[in-house]
Amino acid sequence: QDGLRQRLAEFRQQLAWVERLDVSAGQAPEPLPQGAAGKGAVDPENDFQREMSFYRQAQAAVLEALPRLRKLQVPTRRPDDYFAEMAKSDQQMQKIRQKLKSKQEAMERSEKAKQLRAMRKYGKKVQTEILQRRQKEKKNMLNAVKKYQKGLSDKLDFLDEEQTSSQGNKKGSANQWTKKGPNAKRRYKNQKFGFGGKKKGSKWNTKESYDDVSSFRSKVAHNKGPGRAGKGGKKALNKRPGKRARQKMKNRAR
Amino acid sequence: GKWKNKERVLIFSSRGINFRTRHLMQDLRTLMPHSKADTKMDRKDQLFVINEVCEMKNCNKCIFFEAKKKQDLYMWLSNTPQGPSAKFLVQNVHTLAELKMTGNCLRGSRPLLSFDPTFDKEPHYALLKELFIQIFSTPQYHPKSQPFVDHVFTFTITDERIWFRNYQIIEEDASLVEIGPRFVMNLIKIFKGSFGGSTLYENPHYQSPNMHRRMIRLSVAAKFREKQQVKEVQEIKKKGSKVLMEGDPTEVVFETPAEEKPVEIQLVKPESKPIVKDKKKPRKIQRKKQKKLFRTEA
Repeated sequence: QDGLRQRLAEFRQQLAWVERLDVSAGQAPEPLPQGAAGKGAVDPENDFQREMSFYRQAQAAVLEALPRLRKLQVPTRRPDDYFAEMAKSDQQMQKIRQKLKSKQEAMERSEKAKQLRAMRKYGKKVQTEILQRRQKEKKNMLNAVKKYQKGLSDKLDFLDEEQTSSQGNKKGSANQWTKKGPNAKRRYKNQKFGFGGKKKGSKWNTKESYDDVSSFRSKVAHNKGPGRAGKGGKKALNKRPGKRARQKMKNRAR
Repeated sequence: GKWKNKERVLIFSSRGINFRTRHLMQDLRTLMPHSKADTKMDRKDQLFVINEVCEMKNCNKCIFFEAKKKQDLYMWLSNTPQGPSAKFLVQNVHTLAELKMTGNCLRGSRPLLSFDPTFDKEPHYALLKELFIQIFSTPQYHPKSQPFVDHVFTFTITDERIWFRNYQIIEEDASLVEIGPRFVMNLIKIFKGSFGGSTLYENPHYQSPNMHRRMIRLSVAAKFREKQQVKEVQEIKKKGSKVLMEGDPTEVVFETPAEEKPVEIQLVKPESKPIVKDKKKPRKIQRKKQKKLFRTEA
């Protein structure tokens, strides 16, 4: 050890700093919160960490040295018109630039491909959604038509602009019966499974159909009402006579 | 200004170096305008011949690359007339020409030298630091140098080795790009004289590459030998002498011999059992006929 020191003392040159340009630097402040661990925590196996520590050391040195150099009037920035031979030839730099460009292009291409794939997937999803919606609408429409045919509802809302009003008047039974109609379970099943079943074989001359007098219009039958060009769709409810009138009728009947 | 600091570094190598080392040498020559080149030295000559070569070329520092076994690269840094000198094992060499080194600098511009604070803590590191400074810094006003300072050499001590990097200074706010080359120096010994003399310092952490390779081979061999030993032990266990155990004296405790039956001598013949015909089974003759039929059919 002493030999070392002796040798060092002999060997050391006393030169102005500007000749040697050496800086013994710590580390530049780190952007990442690494705490006060500093150099000791650098794991030599972790390549990135190691290189970053070298980088930071160089940065610290530069930050320290440049002001000193500027004070000593040693130029540090190369003027733009100063052309001189570089350590690496222009050809070499071209190669480097090409490599960087190709890498960037490759990355861009892969990004584009990924985006395309994502878009296609999305487009497909949207398409299936639209198709499903259309099918649902069609199904609902058909169900509404069927309901109407069976006479469960007399609203023509589903038809909007269409001219099938004649179909609507066909079997418009009393509104009251619609409200009670089939019970909740039956209604649910109808909604879910539609009005399927045998259609051709269903009887036409049933008790209900015989008893059904809803399509009887007394004014039409006795040719008394106003012309049909007026309001064809309006039906008046069978008006129940008031209490007095009913009593009269009863007394008269007795 | 006048060029006062007359440092000249002789950079050359022995025979048997590979392309990477050759490129590294050339790179160092480009980066250091105060360097001189020489032809390859024959391995037969002794090392102190180098001192004479340096004197002939009028150089006072020397970087000598020595390649052994076409695998290991050793580097000598020395102050030629009187010493000291140091021998290193060089690893992880990357040259200027590698495409990942994107920076560039003026040819012959003076470098900034950046050292790890650890260099000041130990005397041997302090000596090495002095050596590095004198060798790597370009003298001011050297005729081949450029007056600008646009790159920085970093020497860092990590993992008991010295890491060398070269960065280009792009902006005044210290944004850097690596130029290269880069290598790792593993100190072996420091000598008092130039390429000889007494040993001032020996690195205890240094393991010669031969030893390193030997350790690897030994560990592999040791694993294999261990496996074999385990196998042998298992075989012995299997075959091994079965220990004869002495009889258990308490075994007899629960033995109760059966009661002796009185000896009966039969004098009368027992009644014969009635013969019951099994109607399901065909009679012997019929069975034989069936068998015959089978045989003829087949």
